[in-house]
Amino acid sequence: MRKIIPVLLIASLVLYFSSCEKDDICVDGDTPLLVIGFFDATDTTLAKEVPSLRIKEVILDDVVDTFTDRSSSLDSIGIPLRIDSNDTSFEFIMDSDDDGTTGEEIGNIDVLTISYQTREAFVSRACGFVANYDNLSITLPANSENWIQDISIVQQTVENSNNIHVKIFY
Amino acid sequence: MSKYFISLLIAVLPLLSYGQGQPVDLNPKDTVEYKQEYGLRVGADISRLVFSFIDEDYTGLELVGDYRLTQKLYLAAELGNEEKTQTEGLGNTILYNYTTSGSYLKAGVDLNTYENWFGMNNAITLGGRYAVASFSQTLNEYNIFDSNRQYSPGTFLPGSQPGTEFSGLNASWLEFVVGIKAELFANIYLGMSARLGFLVTNKEDERFPNLWIPGFNKVTDGSNFGVGFNYTISYFIPFYKKSKKKEGPTQQQE
Repeated sequence: MRKIIPVLLIASLVLYFSSCEKDDICVDGDTPLLVIGFFDATDTTLAKEVPSLRIKEVILDDVVDTFTDRSSSLDSIGIPLRIDSNDTSFEFIMDSDDDGTTGEEIGNIDVLTISYQTREAFVSRACGFVANYDNLSITLPANSENWIQDISIVQQTVENSNNIHVKIFY
Repeated sequence: MSKYFISLLIAVLPLLSYGQGQPVDLNPKDTVEYKQEYGLRVGADISRLVFSFIDEDYTGLELVGDYRLTQKLYLAAELGNEEKTQTEGLGNTILYNYTTSGSYLKAGVDLNTYENWFGMNNAITLGGRYAVASFSQTLNEYNIFDSNRQYSPGTFLPGSQPGTEFSGLNASWLEFVVGIKAELFANIYLGMSARLGFLVTNKEDERFPNLWIPGFNKVTDGSNFGVGFNYTISYFIPFYKKSKKKEGPTQQQE
């Protein structure tokens, strides 16, 4: 009988080790949002909130759902990119509002096309695969009425949503 | 006549003690030596066979064998082949589904810690193995995890390269084994063992890590430990017999 006790102890140790496992909940990663910061065009280090900012994705023709629509208190936002395409176009609207009678948008609309390469990356057992973006570039068609004056890409590779990837000056 | 049979028997009893000419040796030397059998034990894991039948996502076979070297020490090995398909999901949505397929070989020693009674051949073993596995993983289908659902309401977008096979993977690990074996019938043994593995090397593809290794089972995040078990039925092929060395003058058994 005395021989059995150490065997039982070891068997319970095996069970103990097998229960040492993280929960299968995805906390390790996510497909990142493209983080855009708004800055003053003259003092380029000064973060500046855009009055009544609205961003619409062009193909969906729908408002981006990651921040409060027509908010005036945001100096940085995160927007989702299409992972099944190599570019996503957005209407960046300043002073967004609807016309009282027709209901049409009366704000200043700038259309930005964001190009990138999608790269699939395995994060963890619980999360599986996420998309990251490489070789980021942004085009803004030249127009005298543009409210956006300059765009600078801080990070060409988007792997998380923790810091600003793109700076927009106005 | 039979009536007097017992009386007659009692009457001749003194003759019996008369016949006892020599003094009775109450402490004779045991000349009957019990020889223990040495040989090869081969068998298969029943649990892997059973799971192959009841679980459509699993097929596996493990052959086991051990060879008795000394009174307590055995050389032991397991050879197996497994294929397992697993799905990781989030609610009803599939995150990814993959199949691992490959073979493994474990070799090492078992130490029998059980003192058998006369004529018994059971074992409680502690053992160690060094194991190697060669396998491949196929990513059957996968979706891109994205907590933002702007472009794909209610679901995830599928990944771009389903069906990718990651081959040429291998791993090696050390294994600690606790097991028992019992002789059911002559030379037929039923055994089971629990195993704790410690992953030593693990060659994986950088795009898709090894989440499950044949013989080692689940690879956990941030830990090198794996657990396994088997239930074996095996047959003992005796090669030769050898008596146990007397450990001391008091030990008369076996």
